Amino acid sequence: MLPESVYRTGAVVRHNTILLLREPGPLVSRLILPLLFLTLLHPLYQEAQGHSAGISQAVIATLVTFSLLGLSIVGGSILVERMWHTWERVRTTAVRPAELLTGKAVPVLAALVVQQVLIIGFGAAAFGLAVTGLPLLALAILAWTLALLGMGAAIGVLARSLSEMSVIYDVGGMILSSLGGALVPLSAMPGWVRHIAPASPGYWAVSAFKAALAADATGTLRACAVLAGFAAAFGLLAAVRAGRSAARSTRM
Amino acid sequence: MLVAQGLVKQYGSRRALDGFDLTVDQGEIVGLIGHNGAGKSTFVEVVTGLVRPDAGRVSVGGVDALRDRRAARALTGVAPQELSLYVSATVRDNLRLFAALAGLRRGALRLAVDQVAEELQLTDLLGQRTGLLSGGQRRRTQAAVALVGGAPLLLLDEPTAGADPETRAALLAAVRARAAAGAAVLYTTHYLPELADLGATLAVARSGRVIARGDQDTLITGLPGELRLRLGDPAGAVGLPGCIAARARTVDGEVRITSADPPADLAALLSAGCSPVSVDVRRPDLDDLYSALALEACHAA
Repeated sequence: MLPESVYRTGAVVRHNTILLLREPGPLVSRLILPLLFLTLLHPLYQEAQGHSAGISQAVIATLVTFSLLGLSIVGGSILVERMWHTWERVRTTAVRPAELLTGKAVPVLAALVVQQVLIIGFGAAAFGLAVTGLPLLALAILAWTLALLGMGAAIGVLARSLSEMSVIYDVGGMILSSLGGALVPLSAMPGWVRHIAPASPGYWAVSAFKAALAADATGTLRACAVLAGFAAAFGLLAAVRAGRSAARSTRM
Repeated sequence: MLVAQGLVKQYGSRRALDGFDLTVDQGEIVGLIGHNGAGKSTFVEVVTGLVRPDAGRVSVGGVDALRDRRAARALTGVAPQELSLYVSATVRDNLRLFAALAGLRRGALRLAVDQVAEELQLTDLLGQRTGLLSGGQRRRTQAAVALVGGAPLLLLDEPTAGADPETRAALLAAVRARAAAGAAVLYTTHYLPELADLGATLAVARSGRVIARGDQDTLITGLPGELRLRLGDPAGAVGLPGCIAARARTVDGEVRITSADPPADLAALLSAGCSPVSVDVRRPDLDDLYSALALEACHAA
Protein backbone atom coordinates (compact mmCIF):
# COMPACT_ATOMS: atom_id res chain seq x y z
CA MET A 1 0.00 0.00 0.00
CA LEU A 2 1.43 3.37 -1.04
CA PRO A 3 1.97 5.99 1.66
CA GLU A 4 -0.83 8.59 1.72
CA SER A 5 1.43 11.39 0.51
CA VAL A 6 2.70 9.43 -2.50
CA TYR A 7 -0.84 8.37 -3.32
CA ARG A 8 -2.18 11.95 -3.20
CA THR A 9 0.74 13.24 -5.27
CA GLY A 10 0.11 10.47 -7.79
CA ALA A 11 -3.56 11.42 -7.97
CA VAL A 12 -2.67 15.07 -8.70
CA VAL A 13 -0.07 14.01 -11.31
CA ARG A 14 -2.63 11.76 -12.98
CA HIS A 15 -5.26 14.50 -12.98
CA ASN A 16 -2.91 17.12 -14.42
CA THR A 17 -1.75 14.69 -17.09
CA ILE A 18 -5.39 14.19 -18.05
CA LEU A 19 -5.89 17.97 -18.21
CA LEU A 20 -2.83 18.29 -20.47
CA LEU A 21 -4.01 15.52 -22.77
CA ARG A 22 -7.65 16.68 -22.90
CA GLU A 23 -6.51 19.91 -24.59
CA PRO A 24 -3.53 18.57 -26.58
CA GLY A 25 -3.36 21.39 -29.16
CA PRO A 26 -0.60 23.49 -27.56
CA LEU A 27 1.42 20.38 -26.69
CA VAL A 28 1.20 18.89 -30.19
CA SER A 29 2.12 22.17 -31.88
CA ARG A 30 5.08 22.67 -29.53
CA LEU A 31 6.29 19.16 -30.42
CA ILE A 32 5.79 19.25 -34.18
CA LEU A 33 6.59 22.86 -35.12
CA PRO A 34 10.23 22.73 -33.93
CA LEU A 35 10.89 19.68 -36.09
CA LEU A 36 9.54 21.53 -39.15
CA PHE A 37 11.56 24.61 -38.20
CA LEU A 38 14.73 22.57 -37.85
CA THR A 39 14.14 20.76 -41.12
CA LEU A 40 13.59 23.98 -43.06
CA LEU A 41 16.29 26.15 -41.49
CA HIS A 42 19.24 23.84 -40.84
CA PRO A 43 20.68 24.36 -44.36
CA LEU A 44 20.85 28.08 -43.67
CA TYR A 45 22.87 27.56 -40.48
CA GLN A 46 25.10 24.96 -42.14
CA GLU A 47 25.76 27.30 -45.05
CA ALA A 48 26.85 30.04 -42.64
CA GLN A 49 28.79 27.98 -40.09
CA GLY A 50 29.75 24.72 -41.75
CA HIS A 51 28.19 21.28 -41.21
CA SER A 52 29.02 20.48 -37.60
CA ALA A 53 28.75 23.96 -36.05
CA GLY A 54 25.76 24.76 -38.28
CA ILE A 55 23.64 21.79 -37.24
CA SER A 56 24.62 22.33 -33.62
CA GLN A 57 23.50 25.99 -33.81
CA ALA A 58 20.30 25.02 -35.66
CA VAL A 59 19.35 22.43 -33.03
CA ILE A 60 20.13 24.75 -30.11
CA ALA A 61 18.27 27.64 -31.78
CA THR A 62 15.22 25.47 -32.31
CA LEU A 63 15.37 23.95 -28.83
CA VAL A 64 15.73 27.22 -26.92
CA THR A 65 13.22 29.16 -29.03
CA PHE A 66 10.50 26.52 -28.97
CA SER A 67 11.00 25.56 -25.36
CA LEU A 68 10.53 29.25 -24.48
CA LEU A 69 7.34 29.21 -26.52
CA GLY A 70 6.49 26.04 -24.58
CA LEU A 71 6.13 28.26 -21.52
CA SER A 72 2.49 28.48 -22.58
CA ILE A 73 2.05 24.88 -21.40
CA VAL A 74 3.38 25.68 -17.93
CA GLY A 75 1.71 29.08 -17.59
CA GLY A 76 -1.56 27.77 -19.02
CA SER A 77 -1.75 24.92 -16.54
CA ILE A 78 -1.58 27.44 -13.67
CA LEU A 79 -3.70 30.17 -15.20
CA VAL A 80 -6.66 27.87 -15.88
CA GLU A 81 -6.70 26.80 -12.23
CA ARG A 82 -7.10 30.46 -11.32
CA MET A 83 -9.78 31.02 -13.95
CA TRP A 84 -11.73 27.92 -12.93
CA HIS A 85 -11.36 28.63 -9.15
CA THR A 86 -10.09 25.07 -8.73
CA TRP A 87 -6.84 26.03 -6.98
CA GLU A 88 -8.72 27.26 -3.90
CA ARG A 89 -11.05 24.28 -4.11
CA VAL A 90 -8.21 21.76 -4.06
CA ARG A 91 -6.61 23.61 -1.16
CA THR A 92 -9.67 22.79 0.96
CA THR A 93 -8.72 19.09 0.79
CA ALA A 94 -6.08 17.23 2.80
CA VAL A 95 -3.48 17.66 0.05
CA ARG A 96 -0.20 19.33 1.10
CA PRO A 97 1.04 22.34 -0.92
CA ALA A 98 4.21 20.40 -1.85
CA GLU A 99 2.10 17.47 -3.14
CA LEU A 100 -0.05 19.86 -5.14
CA LEU A 101 2.92 21.66 -6.68
CA THR A 102 4.72 18.40 -7.47
CA GLY A 103 1.59 17.01 -9.04
CA LYS A 104 1.23 20.13 -11.14
CA ALA A 105 4.91 20.28 -12.15
CA VAL A 106 5.57 16.65 -13.12
CA PRO A 107 3.39 16.47 -16.28
CA VAL A 108 4.56 19.82 -17.67
CA LEU A 109 8.15 19.02 -16.77
CA ALA A 110 7.78 15.74 -18.65
CA ALA A 111 6.28 17.58 -21.65
CA LEU A 112 9.17 20.06 -21.75
CA VAL A 113 11.78 17.29 -21.43
CA VAL A 114 10.10 15.26 -24.20
CA GLN A 115 10.11 18.34 -26.43
CA GLN A 116 13.85 18.90 -25.92
CA VAL A 117 14.78 15.23 -26.27
CA LEU A 118 12.69 15.04 -29.44
CA ILE A 119 14.48 18.04 -30.99
CA ILE A 120 17.96 16.77 -30.07
CA GLY A 121 17.10 13.22 -31.15
CA PHE A 122 15.67 14.46 -34.44
CA GLY A 123 18.76 16.63 -35.01
CA ALA A 124 21.02 13.64 -34.38
CA ALA A 125 19.01 11.10 -36.38
CA ALA A 126 18.07 13.24 -39.35
CA PHE A 127 20.93 15.72 -39.70
CA GLY A 128 23.89 14.10 -37.97
CA LEU A 129 24.15 16.22 -34.83
CA ALA A 130 27.11 14.86 -32.85
CA VAL A 131 25.95 14.05 -29.31
CA THR A 132 28.98 13.23 -27.18
CA GLY A 133 28.43 14.16 -23.53
CA LEU A 134 25.06 12.56 -22.75
CA PRO A 135 25.19 13.13 -18.95
CA LEU A 136 26.09 16.78 -19.51
CA LEU A 137 23.32 17.11 -22.04
CA ALA A 138 20.86 15.57 -19.56
CA LEU A 139 22.03 18.06 -16.93
CA ALA A 140 21.56 20.96 -19.35
CA ILE A 141 18.06 19.74 -20.23
CA LEU A 142 17.17 19.42 -16.54
CA ALA A 143 18.52 22.85 -15.57
CA TRP A 144 16.85 24.57 -18.54
CA THR A 145 13.56 22.77 -17.86
CA LEU A 146 13.59 23.91 -14.22
CA ALA A 147 14.24 27.49 -15.35
CA LEU A 148 11.32 27.17 -17.79
CA LEU A 149 9.10 25.84 -15.00
CA GLY A 150 9.99 28.83 -12.82
CA MET A 151 9.36 31.29 -15.64
CA GLY A 152 6.14 29.54 -16.66
CA ALA A 153 4.85 29.56 -13.09
CA ALA A 154 5.60 33.29 -12.82
CA ILE A 155 3.71 33.95 -16.07
CA GLY A 156 0.85 31.75 -14.86
CA VAL A 157 0.35 33.78 -11.68
CA LEU A 158 1.03 37.21 -13.23
CA ALA A 159 -1.14 36.95 -16.36
CA ARG A 160 -4.76 37.92 -15.90
CA SER A 161 -6.12 36.18 -19.00
CA LEU A 162 -5.16 33.66 -21.66
CA SER A 163 -4.67 36.42 -24.25
CA GLU A 164 -2.40 38.37 -21.90
CA MET A 165 -0.41 35.20 -21.25
CA SER A 166 -0.14 34.53 -24.97
CA VAL A 167 1.38 37.99 -25.53
CA ILE A 168 3.86 37.46 -22.67
CA TYR A 169 5.16 34.11 -23.88
CA ASP A 170 5.08 34.91 -27.61
CA VAL A 171 6.83 38.29 -27.41
CA GLY A 172 8.82 37.53 -24.26
CA GLY A 173 9.92 34.13 -25.51
CA MET A 174 11.13 35.55 -28.81
CA ILE A 175 13.00 38.39 -27.08
CA LEU A 176 14.69 36.08 -24.55
CA SER A 177 15.57 33.62 -27.27
CA SER A 178 17.02 36.30 -29.59
CA LEU A 179 18.89 38.05 -26.77
CA GLY A 180 20.40 34.73 -25.79
CA GLY A 181 21.89 34.26 -29.24
CA ALA A 182 19.73 31.26 -30.05
CA LEU A 183 18.40 32.32 -33.43
CA VAL A 184 21.39 34.41 -34.56
CA PRO A 185 24.86 33.88 -33.03
CA LEU A 186 25.79 36.70 -30.67
CA SER A 187 28.95 37.31 -32.67
CA ALA A 188 26.74 38.53 -35.51
CA MET A 189 24.65 40.77 -33.24
CA PRO A 190 25.25 44.46 -32.40
CA GLY A 191 27.59 45.19 -29.49
CA TRP A 192 24.83 46.36 -27.13
CA VAL A 193 23.00 43.04 -27.54
CA ARG A 194 26.18 41.12 -26.64
CA HIS A 195 26.46 43.37 -23.58
CA ILE A 196 22.99 42.63 -22.19
CA ALA A 197 22.71 39.02 -23.42
CA PRO A 198 23.77 37.42 -20.07
CA ALA A 199 20.64 38.93 -18.49
CA SER A 200 18.55 36.55 -20.60
CA PRO A 201 17.98 32.98 -19.39
CA GLY A 202 18.10 32.08 -23.08
CA TYR A 203 21.77 33.07 -23.17
CA TRP A 204 22.61 30.59 -20.39
CA ALA A 205 20.51 27.89 -22.04
CA VAL A 206 22.43 28.35 -25.29
CA SER A 207 25.72 28.33 -23.31
CA ALA A 208 24.72 25.17 -21.42
CA PHE A 209 23.74 23.25 -24.55
CA LYS A 210 26.77 24.42 -26.55
CA ALA A 211 29.09 23.38 -23.70
CA ALA A 212 27.28 20.06 -23.22
CA LEU A 213 27.49 19.21 -26.92
CA ALA A 214 31.21 20.06 -26.81
CA ALA A 215 31.61 17.84 -23.69
CA ASP A 216 32.81 20.90 -21.75
CA ALA A 217 31.92 19.98 -18.16
CA THR A 218 33.01 23.27 -16.57
CA GLY A 219 31.10 25.39 -19.06
CA THR A 220 28.00 23.20 -18.71
CA LEU A 221 28.06 23.28 -14.90
CA ARG A 222 28.56 27.05 -14.82
CA ALA A 223 25.65 27.71 -17.18
CA CYS A 224 23.45 25.17 -15.37
CA ALA A 225 24.16 26.86 -12.04
CA VAL A 226 22.99 30.20 -13.46
CA LEU A 227 19.88 28.52 -14.91
CA ALA A 228 19.16 26.99 -11.49
CA GLY A 229 19.42 30.52 -10.06
CA PHE A 230 16.88 31.77 -12.62
CA ALA A 231 14.61 28.82 -11.73
CA ALA A 232 14.79 29.68 -8.02
CA ALA A 233 14.25 33.42 -8.58
CA PHE A 234 11.24 32.98 -10.87
CA GLY A 235 9.84 30.21 -8.66
CA LEU A 236 10.08 32.48 -5.63
CA LEU A 237 8.39 35.31 -7.51
CA ALA A 238 5.57 32.93 -8.49
CA ALA A 239 5.18 31.64 -4.92
CA VAL A 240 5.06 35.15 -3.42
CA ARG A 241 2.64 36.39 -6.05
CA ALA A 242 0.42 33.31 -5.68
CA GLY A 243 0.33 33.81 -1.91
CA ARG A 244 -0.73 37.44 -2.30
CA SER A 245 -3.39 36.56 -4.89
CA ALA A 246 -4.85 33.91 -2.57
CA ALA A 247 -4.98 36.38 0.30
CA ARG A 248 -6.67 38.97 -1.94
CA SER A 249 -9.19 36.54 -3.35
CA THR A 250 -10.41 35.63 0.12
CA ARG A 251 -11.14 39.28 0.85
CA MET A 252 -13.61 39.70 -1.98
CA MET B 1 -18.75 17.68 14.79
CA LEU B 2 -18.20 21.40 14.15
CA VAL B 3 -17.68 23.85 16.99
CA ALA B 4 -16.81 27.48 16.31
CA GLN B 5 -16.38 29.93 19.16
CA GLY B 6 -15.80 33.67 19.14
CA LEU B 7 -14.47 33.92 15.61
CA VAL B 8 -13.27 37.37 14.60
CA LYS B 9 -11.95 38.34 11.17
CA GLN B 10 -11.18 41.91 10.23
CA TYR B 11 -10.49 43.05 6.64
CA GLY B 12 -9.25 46.64 6.83
CA SER B 13 -12.07 48.62 8.39
CA ARG B 14 -14.65 45.89 7.77
CA ARG B 15 -15.27 43.20 10.36
CA ALA B 16 -16.39 40.11 8.42
CA LEU B 17 -16.72 37.95 11.55
CA ASP B 18 -17.45 39.56 14.89
CA GLY B 19 -17.75 36.89 17.57
CA PHE B 20 -19.21 34.16 15.36
CA ASP B 21 -20.35 31.11 17.39
CA LEU B 22 -21.85 27.99 15.85
CA THR B 23 -22.14 24.30 16.63
CA VAL B 24 -23.25 21.58 14.21
CA ASP B 25 -23.81 18.08 15.60
CA GLN B 26 -23.55 14.74 13.83
CA GLY B 27 -26.65 14.05 11.75
CA GLU B 28 -27.79 17.68 12.02
CA ILE B 29 -28.44 20.01 9.11
CA VAL B 30 -27.91 23.62 10.06
CA GLY B 31 -29.25 26.24 7.69
CA LEU B 32 -27.04 29.30 7.94
CA ILE B 33 -28.98 32.26 6.62
CA GLY B 34 -28.26 35.95 6.36
CA HIS B 35 -27.88 38.79 3.91
CA ASN B 36 -24.84 39.11 1.66
CA GLY B 37 -21.95 40.27 3.83
CA ALA B 38 -23.39 38.67 6.98
CA GLY B 39 -20.26 36.53 7.30
CA LYS B 40 -21.54 33.18 5.98
CA SER B 41 -18.91 32.61 3.30
CA THR B 42 -16.08 33.96 5.46
CA PHE B 43 -17.11 31.48 8.13
CA VAL B 44 -16.94 28.62 5.60
CA GLU B 45 -13.50 29.83 4.48
CA VAL B 46 -12.29 29.88 8.09
CA VAL B 47 -13.53 26.34 8.72
CA THR B 48 -11.80 25.08 5.56
CA GLY B 49 -8.58 26.84 6.55
CA LEU B 50 -8.50 29.21 3.55
CA VAL B 51 -8.77 32.20 5.88
CA ARG B 52 -7.08 32.50 9.28
CA PRO B 53 -9.25 34.29 11.85
CA ASP B 54 -7.86 37.07 14.05
CA ALA B 55 -9.40 35.43 17.12
CA GLY B 56 -11.55 32.48 18.11
CA ARG B 57 -11.48 28.70 17.90
CA VAL B 58 -12.75 26.11 15.43
CA SER B 59 -12.76 22.38 15.92
CA VAL B 60 -13.86 19.74 13.42
CA GLY B 61 -14.51 16.27 14.83
CA GLY B 62 -12.44 17.20 17.87
CA VAL B 63 -9.49 18.40 15.74
CA ASP B 64 -8.33 22.00 16.23
CA ALA B 65 -8.92 23.26 12.67
CA LEU B 66 -6.66 26.28 13.12
CA ARG B 67 -3.66 24.28 14.36
CA ASP B 68 -4.05 21.12 12.29
CA ARG B 69 -5.73 22.34 9.15
CA ARG B 70 -4.94 19.24 7.11
CA ALA B 71 -6.51 16.87 9.61
CA ALA B 72 -9.62 19.06 9.80
CA ARG B 73 -9.82 19.31 6.01
CA ALA B 74 -9.66 15.52 5.76
CA LEU B 75 -12.97 15.44 7.67
CA THR B 76 -14.63 18.09 5.52
CA GLY B 77 -16.39 18.08 2.14
CA VAL B 78 -16.85 21.54 0.64
CA ALA B 79 -19.05 22.96 -2.10
CA PRO B 80 -17.98 26.60 -2.45
CA GLN B 81 -20.45 29.22 -3.58
CA GLU B 82 -18.53 29.84 -6.80
CA LEU B 83 -18.41 26.99 -9.32
CA SER B 84 -14.95 25.44 -9.13
CA LEU B 85 -14.68 22.56 -11.58
CA TYR B 86 -12.02 21.44 -14.04
CA VAL B 87 -14.01 22.33 -17.13
CA SER B 88 -11.81 20.53 -19.65
CA ALA B 89 -12.00 17.33 -17.59
CA THR B 90 -14.97 14.98 -17.46
CA VAL B 91 -17.36 14.69 -14.54
CA ARG B 92 -15.69 11.37 -13.69
CA ASP B 93 -12.21 12.98 -13.74
CA ASN B 94 -13.38 15.68 -11.33
CA LEU B 95 -14.96 13.16 -8.97
CA ARG B 96 -11.99 10.78 -9.14
CA LEU B 97 -9.53 13.52 -8.16
CA PHE B 98 -11.46 14.60 -5.07
CA ALA B 99 -12.27 11.03 -4.07
CA ALA B 100 -8.55 10.19 -4.29
CA LEU B 101 -7.60 13.28 -2.27
CA ALA B 102 -10.10 12.15 0.35
CA GLY B 103 -8.09 8.93 0.63
CA LEU B 104 -10.34 6.53 -1.33
CA ARG B 105 -8.54 3.94 -3.45
CA ARG B 106 -9.33 1.56 -6.31
CA GLY B 107 -12.63 -0.28 -5.72
CA ALA B 108 -13.81 2.05 -2.95
CA LEU B 109 -13.05 5.04 -5.15
CA ARG B 110 -14.95 3.64 -8.13
CA LEU B 111 -17.88 2.74 -5.90
CA ALA B 112 -18.00 6.20 -4.31
CA VAL B 113 -17.90 7.90 -7.73
CA ASP B 114 -20.69 5.69 -9.10
CA GLN B 115 -22.83 6.10 -5.98
CA VAL B 116 -22.63 9.87 -5.79
CA ALA B 117 -23.23 10.10 -9.55
CA GLU B 118 -26.40 8.05 -9.16
CA GLU B 119 -27.51 10.07 -6.15
CA LEU B 120 -27.19 13.34 -8.06
CA GLN B 121 -28.44 11.97 -11.40
CA LEU B 122 -25.05 12.31 -13.06
CA THR B 123 -24.52 8.69 -14.14
CA ASP B 124 -25.19 9.40 -17.81
CA LEU B 125 -22.93 12.45 -17.68
CA LEU B 126 -19.83 10.85 -16.14
CA GLY B 127 -17.99 10.84 -19.46
CA GLN B 128 -18.97 14.41 -20.38
CA ARG B 129 -16.62 17.34 -20.01
CA THR B 130 -17.97 19.62 -17.29
CA GLY B 131 -17.47 22.61 -19.59
CA LEU B 132 -20.20 21.19 -21.84
CA LEU B 133 -22.75 20.68 -19.05
CA SER B 134 -25.77 22.88 -18.37
CA GLY B 135 -25.77 25.18 -15.34
CA GLY B 136 -27.86 22.76 -13.28
CA GLN B 137 -25.67 19.79 -14.20
CA ARG B 138 -22.57 21.73 -13.16
CA ARG B 139 -24.21 22.59 -9.83
CA ARG B 140 -24.89 18.88 -9.26
CA THR B 141 -21.29 18.04 -10.17
CA GLN B 142 -20.04 20.69 -7.76
CA ALA B 143 -22.13 19.16 -4.98
CA ALA B 144 -21.04 15.64 -5.96
CA VAL B 145 -17.40 16.70 -5.58
CA ALA B 146 -18.20 17.75 -2.00
CA LEU B 147 -20.01 14.49 -1.23
CA VAL B 148 -17.80 11.94 -3.00
CA GLY B 149 -15.23 11.59 -0.23
CA GLY B 150 -17.89 10.66 2.35
CA ALA B 151 -16.69 13.39 4.73
CA PRO B 152 -18.42 13.53 8.14
CA LEU B 153 -18.75 17.34 7.87
CA LEU B 154 -20.28 18.94 4.78
CA LEU B 155 -20.02 22.67 4.12
CA LEU B 156 -22.39 23.57 1.32
CA ASP B 157 -22.28 27.27 0.46
CA GLU B 158 -25.38 28.15 -1.58
CA PRO B 159 -25.22 24.83 -3.44
CA THR B 160 -28.45 25.45 -5.36
CA ALA B 161 -27.75 29.04 -6.47
CA GLY B 162 -29.23 29.39 -9.95
CA ALA B 163 -30.22 25.73 -10.04
CA ASP B 164 -33.31 24.35 -11.78
CA PRO B 165 -36.03 22.52 -9.74
CA GLU B 166 -34.71 19.08 -10.81
CA THR B 167 -31.21 19.92 -9.59
CA ARG B 168 -32.56 21.37 -6.36
CA ALA B 169 -34.66 18.28 -5.62
CA ALA B 170 -31.76 15.90 -6.30
CA LEU B 171 -29.42 17.92 -4.18
CA LEU B 172 -31.77 18.24 -1.24
CA ALA B 173 -32.43 14.49 -1.31
CA ALA B 174 -28.69 13.79 -1.32
CA VAL B 175 -28.10 16.16 1.60
CA ARG B 176 -30.94 14.60 3.61
CA ALA B 177 -29.50 11.13 2.95
CA ARG B 178 -26.02 12.17 4.10
CA ALA B 179 -27.39 13.70 7.28
CA ALA B 180 -29.48 10.59 7.92
CA ALA B 181 -26.26 8.58 7.61
CA GLY B 182 -24.69 10.74 10.34
CA ALA B 183 -22.98 13.60 8.51
CA ALA B 184 -23.07 17.08 10.01
CA VAL B 185 -24.19 19.57 7.35
CA LEU B 186 -23.79 23.32 7.27
CA TYR B 187 -25.97 24.65 4.48
CA THR B 188 -26.00 28.32 3.54
CA THR B 189 -28.73 29.59 1.27
CA HIS B 190 -30.97 32.49 0.36
CA TYR B 191 -33.76 30.07 -0.66
CA LEU B 192 -35.40 29.67 2.72
CA PRO B 193 -38.03 27.08 1.70
CA GLU B 194 -35.14 24.66 1.07
CA LEU B 195 -34.38 24.70 4.77
CA ALA B 196 -37.96 23.73 5.57
CA ASP B 197 -37.63 20.86 3.06
CA LEU B 198 -34.41 19.75 4.73
CA GLY B 199 -35.86 20.01 8.24
CA ALA B 200 -32.80 22.07 9.11
CA THR B 201 -32.26 23.87 12.36
CA LEU B 202 -31.47 27.51 11.79
CA ALA B 203 -28.65 29.90 12.46
CA VAL B 204 -29.30 33.47 11.44
CA ALA B 205 -26.17 35.53 10.76
CA ARG B 206 -25.98 39.27 10.72
CA SER B 207 -22.94 41.57 10.75
CA GLY B 208 -20.49 38.73 11.36
CA ARG B 209 -22.28 36.96 14.20
CA VAL B 210 -25.11 34.48 14.75
CA ILE B 211 -28.06 36.43 16.11
CA ALA B 212 -30.51 33.53 16.47
CA ARG B 213 -30.18 29.76 16.68
CA GLY B 214 -32.77 27.01 17.06
CA ASP B 215 -35.29 24.84 15.29
CA GLN B 216 -37.63 26.43 12.81
CA ASP B 217 -40.88 25.97 14.76
CA THR B 218 -39.47 27.51 17.93
CA LEU B 219 -38.06 30.50 16.12
CA ILE B 220 -41.22 31.07 14.09
CA THR B 221 -43.67 30.68 16.99
CA GLY B 222 -44.90 34.07 18.11
CA LEU B 223 -44.19 35.77 14.82
CA PRO B 224 -47.15 37.52 13.21
CA GLY B 225 -48.78 35.94 10.18
CA GLU B 226 -50.90 37.66 7.58
CA LEU B 227 -54.61 37.90 6.92
CA ARG B 228 -55.32 38.45 3.24
CA LEU B 229 -58.71 39.74 2.09
CA ARG B 230 -60.31 40.60 -1.18
CA LEU B 231 -63.08 43.10 -0.68
CA GLY B 232 -66.05 43.64 -2.96
CA ASP B 233 -65.42 47.36 -2.70
CA PRO B 234 -61.79 48.12 -3.72
CA ALA B 235 -61.88 51.21 -1.49
CA GLY B 236 -63.05 49.09 1.46
CA ALA B 237 -59.71 49.19 3.21
CA VAL B 238 -60.42 52.77 4.16
CA GLY B 239 -63.35 51.55 6.26
CA LEU B 240 -61.35 49.02 8.33
CA PRO B 241 -61.42 49.44 12.11
CA GLY B 242 -58.62 51.79 13.20
CA CYS B 243 -56.58 49.19 15.15
CA ILE B 244 -56.54 46.92 12.10
CA ALA B 245 -56.13 49.60 9.42
CA ALA B 246 -52.78 50.57 10.97
CA ARG B 247 -51.47 47.07 10.18
CA ALA B 248 -52.98 46.84 6.69
CA ARG B 249 -51.53 47.46 3.25
CA THR B 250 -52.98 46.88 -0.20
CA VAL B 251 -51.10 44.82 -2.78
CA ASP B 252 -52.64 44.24 -6.23
CA GLY B 253 -56.13 44.91 -4.89
CA GLU B 254 -55.65 42.52 -1.97
CA VAL B 255 -55.73 43.85 1.61
CA ARG B 256 -52.90 42.30 3.66
CA ILE B 257 -53.10 42.67 7.44
CA THR B 258 -50.15 41.71 9.65
CA SER B 259 -51.75 39.72 12.43
CA ALA B 260 -50.65 37.84 15.53
CA ASP B 261 -54.20 36.41 15.83
CA PRO B 262 -55.86 36.18 12.40
CA PRO B 263 -59.19 34.62 13.62
CA ALA B 264 -59.72 37.43 16.14
CA ASP B 265 -58.91 40.09 13.55
CA LEU B 266 -61.26 38.44 11.05
CA ALA B 267 -64.06 38.39 13.63
CA ALA B 268 -63.44 42.06 14.37
CA LEU B 269 -63.61 42.89 10.67
CA LEU B 270 -66.88 40.98 10.17
CA SER B 271 -68.52 42.58 13.19
CA ALA B 272 -67.45 46.00 11.86
CA GLY B 273 -69.48 45.28 8.71
CA CYS B 274 -66.63 44.39 6.45
CA SER B 275 -67.71 41.82 3.83
CA PRO B 276 -64.74 40.19 2.08
CA VAL B 277 -65.29 38.09 -1.06
CA SER B 278 -62.28 35.93 -0.19
CA VAL B 279 -60.17 35.34 2.92
CA ASP B 280 -56.75 33.72 3.15
CA VAL B 281 -54.57 33.24 6.23
CA ARG B 282 -50.80 33.02 5.71
CA ARG B 283 -48.81 31.48 8.53
CA PRO B 284 -45.45 33.04 9.41
CA ASP B 285 -42.52 31.48 7.56
CA LEU B 286 -38.73 31.73 7.43
CA ASP B 287 -38.88 34.93 5.39
CA ASP B 288 -40.86 36.56 8.21
CA LEU B 289 -38.42 35.20 10.77
CA TYR B 290 -35.45 36.56 8.89
CA SER B 291 -37.07 39.97 8.38
CA ALA B 292 -38.06 40.18 12.05
CA LEU B 293 -34.59 39.22 13.30
CA ALA B 294 -32.85 41.58 10.91
CA LEU B 295 -35.16 44.42 11.98
CA GLU B 296 -34.62 43.59 15.65
CA ALA B 297 -30.84 43.56 15.26
CA CYS B 298 -31.00 46.82 13.34
CA HIS B 299 -32.99 48.47 16.14
CA ALA B 300 -30.59 47.08 18.76
CA ALA B 301 -27.64 48.53 16.84
